[in-house]
Amino acid sequence: MPKRRDILAIVLIVLPWTLLITVWHQSAIAPLFAIRKDDGTETRHDTGPATDSKEYCSQDKDIVEVVRTEYVYTRPPPWSDVLPTIHVITPTYSRPVQKAELTRLANTFLHVPNLHWILVEDSQRRTPLVTRLLRETGLNYTHLNVETPRNYKLRGDTRDPRIPRGTMQRNLALRWLRETFNSNSSQAGIVYFADDDNTYSLELFEEMRSTRKVSVWPVAFVGGLRYESPKVNAAGKVYGWKTVFDPHRPFAIDMAGFAINLRLILFKPQAYFKLRGVKGGYQESSLLRELVTLSDLEPKAANCTKILVWHTRTEKPVLVNEGKKGFTDPNVEI
Amino acid sequence: MRMRLKLKTVFVLYFTVSLLGLIYALMQLGQRCDCRGHDMSKDQQISQLRGELQKLQEHIKTELNKKTDVPKIYVITPTYARLVQKAELTRLSHTFLHVPQLHWIVVEDAPQPTLLVTDFLAASGLTYTHLHKLTPKDRKLQEGDPSWLKPRGAEQRNEGLRWLREMGAAAEGKEAAALEEAVVYFADDDNTYSLQLFEEMRYTYRVSVWPVGLVGGMKFERPVVEDGKVVRFHTGWRPNRPFPIDMAGFAVSLRLILTSPQARFDGDAQMGFLESSFLQHLVTMDELEPKADLCTKVLVWHTRTEKPKMKREDALQKQGLGSDPDVEV
Repeated sequence: MPKRRDILAIVLIVLPWTLLITVWHQSAIAPLFAIRKDDGTETRHDTGPATDSKEYCSQDKDIVEVVRTEYVYTRPPPWSDVLPTIHVITPTYSRPVQKAELTRLANTFLHVPNLHWILVEDSQRRTPLVTRLLRETGLNYTHLNVETPRNYKLRGDTRDPRIPRGTMQRNLALRWLRETFNSNSSQAGIVYFADDDNTYSLELFEEMRSTRKVSVWPVAFVGGLRYESPKVNAAGKVYGWKTVFDPHRPFAIDMAGFAINLRLILFKPQAYFKLRGVKGGYQESSLLRELVTLSDLEPKAANCTKILVWHTRTEKPVLVNEGKKGFTDPNVEI
Repeated sequence: MRMRLKLKTVFVLYFTVSLLGLIYALMQLGQRCDCRGHDMSKDQQISQLRGELQKLQEHIKTELNKKTDVPKIYVITPTYARLVQKAELTRLSHTFLHVPQLHWIVVEDAPQPTLLVTDFLAASGLTYTHLHKLTPKDRKLQEGDPSWLKPRGAEQRNEGLRWLREMGAAAEGKEAAALEEAVVYFADDDNTYSLQLFEEMRYTYRVSVWPVGLVGGMKFERPVVEDGKVVRFHTGWRPNRPFPIDMAGFAVSLRLILTSPQARFDGDAQMGFLESSFLQHLVTMDELEPKADLCTKVLVWHTRTEKPKMKREDALQKQGLGSDPDVEV
């Protein structure tokens, strides 16, 4: 009798523990495998199998729940740990329509998750107008500035015609990215050059998010056409350029028509836009040819058949009634 | 005996604790999420997230409009087909998507609704009404006419007003009460609007006004406010008009529109008098409500978009080699 009792006691002691261990073991194994596979993804759960798999799972669920509720009440959308960050580089300069352009651009960007806006002013100092605007939008931003040297020997206001507008600003942003992110970090990012007067659809940002090296797509209203587009063959590879203006350029594409994976930018730290001696229309090629070949390009926007970005230009407002002395209060910011 | 008792107690305690622990753990585990998700490749994850994004965007729209305690803003936008139309409407919609309780009334200058605008509005995520009204030929600007020659959009705005009045007459109960608080704003598709502007106009009793940037040949035009009332208008061009204010510079309460059925835009009005032709039926200058910090801040800009150069496109089309017309631009 006591023997049976003893056995019963032992069984009762051991049973719960074996059950517990089996169940934990099972659920611990699955995420272990997942972590091993997902070495490229940004996950903060790289503490490994030591963490409870249950915590991992419920955290994921919680993230989704949080995103659902917070998106409703906050702009921009909450930061996601999984989506690659889109670093948007925008050169800008002071002129009457600047605040308007940046305002409507910000209104678009506020819809894009994981967007980091790198705004580079063509100025000696960062202006209060842009500083205030950036702060008020609530966007994740970096505010830089570099002044394109003016050649005063030329008439009036013209800048050195040999340096295309925006080049020094874009290069500064590239340098900032290289100084801020080292190639060993697993931070997934995409770099896009967005001028402040173009129009961008929200779909465009989701198309570029999956860029492995350099992705391309059509751009409307450039090159004197309804749109310019890369030529894509049946195998889904880019083999040429559908443009009228110099289609034999290495990359006959507008600044708004491509995006580059951040890893590639970091991997080739010498690649910059060429400052001087660049023929009209060759600026984009001056950077891209150092990074990628034609066959490496990834066509997006339904194999380059949809227009997701428009190269709009804003008219210069007629300020004739301001007269010589200025009619309106100069303290009111426009 | 004592020893045995101790052991027995220990054992019982141990058994209870471990059983409770197991039950607790099983309950926690019972709520496990689908761990299969972690085996997905990066691409699958991204497309799954895209799906999430879409769902979230749908959710914002419904959530934003659930804020039913704020007055609704009806925005009337006349639009017409030209190259930059889709681009203009796209970036405009991005601004409107941030504004709660906004109802967009898009009126095309066309004999029937176009596919471009129909598809665009359906995908926009906004609450909208799609109307159309063709401007009669004699009132329409011809190619090469300067933009100021004939007033534009009058018929379309009147069509928007007609729809609002129709809706107002048909509404009853809670709906009708909500309409009492609503505001109507005329927003052209090429201007630029800050988000703050909509919050300024939301509480309008009759007609509220504010400065407009980059208009009238000046950096901005504005009503001049003294003692909280508008006394005159600061503008560089024809300041003696009854209301020398741009279309983007005022909003009207829906109540006032519904109680003044004769108020409409006069398509034959002289240059610059379109706004006055409408406002003079509704309000006097001292009744105007100044917004935007007593009309000292610029929250809307009268931007205009350049017409894109199509030299090469035109040349190609002459040769029959124009770009694919099926690709919507």
